[in-house]
Amino acid sequence: MPEEVIRLNNLSFRFPDCSKAVLHNVSAIIHRGERIAICGPSGCGKSTLLYLLNRLYPLNCDGIVSGEIRLFGKNGEHYAPGEINRRIATVFQDPDAQFCMPTVEEELAFTLENLHIPQADMEERIAGILSLTSLTEWRHSKIHSLSGGMKQRVAVACALIMDPEVLLLDEPLSHLDPVTARDFVCWLDRLQQLRQLTIIAVEHRLVHWKSFFKREIRLGKDGRVIADGPPAEIPALLFPSRLSGKAAEEALRIQGLAVEIDGKTRLSPLSFSLTRGEVTIVAGPNGSGKTTLLKALCGIHQASGTIQAISRRGYVPQSPEFMFLTQSVSQEVAYSGISSLQEIKGLMNRLDLSTIADSHPFSVSHGQKRRVAVGAMLADKRQILLMDEPTAGQDAASLQELYTLIGQRTAEGAAFVIVTHDMSFALAVADSVVLLKDGAMTGKYSAADFWTRDDLLLAHHLLAPEGVAIHEASIE
Amino acid sequence: MKHLLNDMNPSFKFVIVTLSMIVMAFFFNPWTPLIFCCGIVLLQILFSQTNWKLWLVCMLPFAFGAFGYLWTTIVFGRASSGTIIWSSGFFDITDQQLNLALSLSFRVLAFSVLSLMFAFTTAPVKFVMSLMQQMKLSPKLAYSVLVGYHFLPLIKDEFVQIKQVHEMRNVAVKNSRWLRLTSIYGMLIPTLASSVRKAESAAFAMEARGFTGEPRTSYFRPIRIKPRDYWLSLLFSALLAASCIIGVLLEK
Repeated sequence: MPEEVIRLNNLSFRFPDCSKAVLHNVSAIIHRGERIAICGPSGCGKSTLLYLLNRLYPLNCDGIVSGEIRLFGKNGEHYAPGEINRRIATVFQDPDAQFCMPTVEEELAFTLENLHIPQADMEERIAGILSLTSLTEWRHSKIHSLSGGMKQRVAVACALIMDPEVLLLDEPLSHLDPVTARDFVCWLDRLQQLRQLTIIAVEHRLVHWKSFFKREIRLGKDGRVIADGPPAEIPALLFPSRLSGKAAEEALRIQGLAVEIDGKTRLSPLSFSLTRGEVTIVAGPNGSGKTTLLKALCGIHQASGTIQAISRRGYVPQSPEFMFLTQSVSQEVAYSGISSLQEIKGLMNRLDLSTIADSHPFSVSHGQKRRVAVGAMLADKRQILLMDEPTAGQDAASLQELYTLIGQRTAEGAAFVIVTHDMSFALAVADSVVLLKDGAMTGKYSAADFWTRDDLLLAHHLLAPEGVAIHEASIE
Repeated sequence: MKHLLNDMNPSFKFVIVTLSMIVMAFFFNPWTPLIFCCGIVLLQILFSQTNWKLWLVCMLPFAFGAFGYLWTTIVFGRASSGTIIWSSGFFDITDQQLNLALSLSFRVLAFSVLSLMFAFTTAPVKFVMSLMQQMKLSPKLAYSVLVGYHFLPLIKDEFVQIKQVHEMRNVAVKNSRWLRLTSIYGMLIPTLASSVRKAESAAFAMEARGFTGEPRTSYFRPIRIKPRDYWLSLLFSALLAASCIIGVLLEK
């Protein structure tokens, strides 16, 4: 048995201003070289557990800890600030908010300077880690110009340059497209074997990791460990079967829609149509013009070409709170004054918003924020809803909720255009798929025969979801 | 030669610029700032790579300001003594008054030319790094400035996003300048909320990489003080001294 690196003894944790504990009696022993996934629904304390392991908590939040964390055989509290971070390194979720220097090289140097490495050794270590992580080519690149996948690699390189024994990852794939995510996992697999790292990752969906993890610690809603062992057979996220709400009446027809911003063509002329109740997924690699298409459809971007539609289009951004203008949920839905009071009341009931009608829109959960945004759009009599990345960083429950929301609205005759990287969600929800690449439309495909076309999928940085076979079988 | 000012140690440059400003404040005559001003521009032309078009644009508001000083001092300043050199129906201008007005406006020009020289020849990241290495600025403060600087484009992108979505919800805003101005308040809250979140994750990320805020012992790219920094400082001091002396002599 390899030596023990982390031991948790009846660890409980709560935030100072909250009476309810986030973690409850968590006990676990972690050995060198293990690959562990910490899973569980949103808000179950996964990230909190991670922050306790690298000592960011409890100091940064004045949290109250009971029980014991032993790191490398020593009580976690006995480490000086920053001392443990060189042995337990962390990669965070948001690729944009974890760098503080302009270029890859300077960012790596920042880490070395923190560790008081003599200047003479820095060059060697930077070159070494860059070649280990195959990033030498990007040494002088500006970090903000890199893609999300590359940024996550740089973040891992910055963590590994400390020569850590344990690597913590906080949902590292949530902003990556399927092919990039797969490549990242393969790359990490190779690194782990080279360095005999212990990897602990917070992840609510193990689908993209395939067989990477050998052990899974599952936390329940109340912050207790409910399972600890080899990963359970990965259930393809099964959504209840849904009758397509697709109707015959055309809802939207666009012809020769093109977008040019500052003299650059962002979207070459494209044409497609949509019926009432139809759900269309827009997919393609990062930077292929998906968001531009949505913004052109709802009039944010000036576009040439013609759009014929039954109503105005409503846009729901990835962060729904970007669109909030008022102090309460009910005011938010009623904002435009287009629907009558009666209609709004009905809408709020159907969207299950009546219970939070007086809450501040910023204070409700992410799923509720999204429902408020959809409600506001529907109250504007916008029957065609454009959703930008509603699935990014969402757990299973939140995805189910989104799925239900879409199902109910299509049944009422609304049409959806949804940009997403989550192909199993797309599989469950789509009636049709629009593929984009380099600002041009490859085509619009019916969902029935789309998922088996591997050539098409791969060319657009997509992967057929795990559930395709099951799904097909269930249809037959 | 064309990069001397750009390559000069930023802290050194900063100290020289600050000192020059303080010294200039003690010389109240039109000639000192005028000579100094021309000297700085000359140095910048000789020893730096500057985008002069941009420089002119940036200079514009300062030039207006300087002219404003000139005008208000001439028109509204109360002349107590001196000989009248020009007179219109409404006001008389004495030589003392003109002297005062020119002193004020040239001083404004000199300060702005000096500041722009600094801004145009100093890379922000290098400046902060140099402050940390030469002036013992605490890394905590230095890196928070750097991270903030780094986040500016991100925040701008997000602000544009929020603005676009708000305009979609309320088309009236797009077509009215006044509404656009007042609606900024509503956009600030989402921007602020996401900035706070970003700031927290950035702070966590830095701490997770072993950043504790204590002084560093080694640097990957040390910013050193080289002989040219002394030479350039000497040049600046000579210019300053010359403009002060000539200014005083001409004043007499």
